Amino acid sequence: MKMSHAWRPVILIVGAVVFLLIFRTIYVPGDFTAKSGDYKYQWHSLKNEKYWTDYPVKYMGQEFCGQCHSDKVEKIKASGHQKVQCEDCHVMTSKPDKKHPVDLKEDFKYLLEIGVDSSRELCKRCHAKLPFRPAEYSESSKGTIKFNMIDPKTHNAGIECVTCHDVHTAGFK
Amino acid sequence: MVTRRDFIKAGLLTVAGMAIPISALEMFKPEAMASLVRSFSEKKRWAFVVDTTKCVGCGMCAKACKLENEIPFEAEVQRTWVERYIQLKDGDVIIDSPKGAREGFTSNDPYGHEVKDEEITKQFYVPKLCNQCEKPSCVQVCPAGATYKTEDGVSLVDRSWCIGCGYCITNCPYFARFFNPVTNTADKCTFCYHRITKGKQTACIDACAFGVRKIGYINDPNSEVFKIISSKRVAVLKPEYGNEPHVFYLGLDQIVR
Repeated sequence: MKMSHAWRPVILIVGAVVFLLIFRTIYVPGDFTAKSGDYKYQWHSLKNEKYWTDYPVKYMGQEFCGQCHSDKVEKIKASGHQKVQCEDCHVMTSKPDKKHPVDLKEDFKYLLEIGVDSSRELCKRCHAKLPFRPAEYSESSKGTIKFNMIDPKTHNAGIECVTCHDVHTAGFK
Repeated sequence: MVTRRDFIKAGLLTVAGMAIPISALEMFKPEAMASLVRSFSEKKRWAFVVDTTKCVGCGMCAKACKLENEIPFEAEVQRTWVERYIQLKDGDVIIDSPKGAREGFTSNDPYGHEVKDEEITKQFYVPKLCNQCEKPSCVQVCPAGATYKTEDGVSLVDRSWCIGCGYCITNCPYFARFFNPVTNTADKCTFCYHRITKGKQTACIDACAFGVRKIGYINDPNSEVFKIISSKRVAVLKPEYGNEPHVFYLGLDQIVR
């Protein structure tokens, strides 16, 4: 008996659908699911949450540096720079000019490049006088204190701030 | 011939069948049952507070974020950035964010043109980051299921599953998403998910010496974030989009866009 011509496209379409369903079952990870049944926002591969929780922590702050440099951390905690983290000035974004004597990456799993940024530009980020920049600092444990701002054009232009100022005590050298 | 008994039987069966919609089958899932009895206050949900009145525009947050999350430092993309708003006496508003403020604001020359002090009526800095919306439209438009919201309210991107179509990037009303030039996938602020799940603060909070940024559970009455949101006047960016952002701003000005 001859098959009706209408059957051939039907078989083709059904075959394509079956193929796609099989392909999807193989290709999509088995842990793909929706948490709390929220298919709009929480439909995802569950193992990816682990990828993000396992992502390495790099920016450690005073707590980490204080393990060896407790003197420096104590000094800075007593100064006006108490809330400035070590990494704000000591982590270089390119070409570390001074290597740390101990290999932090190998021995301490500390993943940033260490250097010293003593440039005038760095100090200007907070201390350059700009209009409406908050004049008082309210986060200090000593209460509200005046926030030191200078005009970088008139205040010893061309000289690095660390020539006269000690950043660890936030005072003069 | 249809008897009265058969007719009533068939009718009742049809009504009973129609009374079981597909969604009712959800109740056989244990997690769906749990979500019905779990009260709102027990569900942990991260939220962020930004106090714009304290920000000085030093950009340490943007620098720390780039280092922490391995976003190429020189690339013009950032997970968090600081915008400077300058309102002039003639009514104009200048908004700039040079290099996402990763090198801070050190002089008053937006786009290379110096602005004189006497021309300004007000000037301030607004740090921005992903708003970790309750109804993230970026997640809803993802055709691959590569971006999702975790149960504690943080939207994340599955780098192995993102096809790089960029739909989420153009969709975000806050311009918080970008293409990561290294992974070639969509990227965005994760609220430092790897840090907050370990009990640490985010890198931008640690780097900020001015206490501008805060993170915590919005449902926990003991968290500072809850105390600020429930007792002070806070605002969110672009509430009209209906995304329900969970980054709350203190001292947000009407010129902020």
